[in-house]
Amino acid sequence: MGALDVDYMLGLVPVLLSYLPLTLQLASLGMVLALILACLFAVIRVQRIPVLNQFTVVFISFFRGTPLLVQLFLFYYGLPQLFSALTVIDGITATIMGLTMHFSAYMAESIRAAIVGVDRSQTEAALSIGMTNSQLMRRIILPQATRVALPTLMNYFIDMIKATSLAFTLGVTELMGATQKEASGSFLYFEAFIVAAIMYWIVVEMLSWLQGNLETRLNKAYSR
Amino acid sequence: MKTLLVSALVILSLATTSVHAQDDTIRVGMSGQYFPFTFVEQDTLKGFEVDVMNAVAQEMGREVEYQTAAFSGLFGMLGAGRIDTVANQITITEERQQAYLFSEPYVYDGAQVVTKAGNDDINGVEDLKGKTVAVNLGSNFEALLRDLPYADEIDIKTYESNIERDTALGRVDAFVMDRVSASQIIKEKPLPLALAGPTFSQITNAYPFKDTERGRALRDEVNAALKTLRDNGTLKAISEEWFGTDITAP
Repeated sequence: MGALDVDYMLGLVPVLLSYLPLTLQLASLGMVLALILACLFAVIRVQRIPVLNQFTVVFISFFRGTPLLVQLFLFYYGLPQLFSALTVIDGITATIMGLTMHFSAYMAESIRAAIVGVDRSQTEAALSIGMTNSQLMRRIILPQATRVALPTLMNYFIDMIKATSLAFTLGVTELMGATQKEASGSFLYFEAFIVAAIMYWIVVEMLSWLQGNLETRLNKAYSR
Repeated sequence: MKTLLVSALVILSLATTSVHAQDDTIRVGMSGQYFPFTFVEQDTLKGFEVDVMNAVAQEMGREVEYQTAAFSGLFGMLGAGRIDTVANQITITEERQQAYLFSEPYVYDGAQVVTKAGNDDINGVEDLKGKTVAVNLGSNFEALLRDLPYADEIDIKTYESNIERDTALGRVDAFVMDRVSASQIIKEKPLPLALAGPTFSQITNAYPFKDTERGRALRDEVNAALKTLRDNGTLKAISEEWFGTDITAP
């Protein structure tokens, strides 16, 4: 077993750290857009809005049924082949689009489950006192569904942060791409990748801490 | 809600779309993962390919903009017009010639079998029968192996990267790469590897361009620049600096 090159690892920390913001930017923009899209899809599915419902079913089926890497290649390399104007979509945008659509498909289903999970009697009660459909959603269903969906949505966010490591195949040098290039210059694979792994880990740990706090807040009404 | 979403996407794509390269810039793709041709040290892109392309671009009077991406993505970028050419030891092959225009060759080399040091079973390409052999995904060495008469007796494994590592670890029996970079890896890196036998196929590397007006113009400019750099000894000097030998002449 060879000795670890600790100096190399320490030298790598500031270099790799400078690529972390891009990784976080990809994941957080992807997450915000995916959340919006997923909420929309979930409501469409629950309310069975005609046409949109069918579209959503096909959309979710496609984006859950194919690998993210395939979708990224389709957006980035495939579409410009058919429509050359689409070359304006750069690697960062294509990555965010891919992450958004892929994860919105998963998240829509867990949000839908959380909505459906709110007891039917509450819907009946709300409608009986004259609430409209949208009041019912905003005041009764969504606050409760959010609490239920939060842990799984956080899971998807964590997954998304790690999925950004695919962006290097689209020429986006984020944390993983930078690490791969450094490692292939030095051949010190363990040193390079363990530094990257620790960075991902720390970020995810910070998110878990945030999740804990959020859950406590959302659970206030239920604890005594 | 829907319009909001659409406008958000539009704003997002406008915000992140980089300003398109000026026409006098040549956009060059490379993996940044192929020592010593293109690699990164402390965030700086280096290597033989970088030095040659810088010299070529200077001769052309153009700025050069490097775009690094995983090797398997480079030809996709070229095809989609996101880069003008690829500087990554691209071997001229018939298939590639049907799809792309090539500049004059600037590297002459051969395919080389490499094994873990001390492996006496393999002494050349004919000993690969019944063995597991690693090659880089999308590289020409895979096609070279598949063209061998006993190709179906070889277990060919394709990798995105790190084939040297897996050979040194013994996960595969050998890997195939060009002789020049294989010798360089063995010389400079702490991996127990050895060249196995002589090279087995001549390789010429050149820059591929798309068959468009811009592609043809750039190819002609690059050819003129390469000729000047060859005549005034610059190519030879760059090669000797990296490899201790001139790989730019046949």
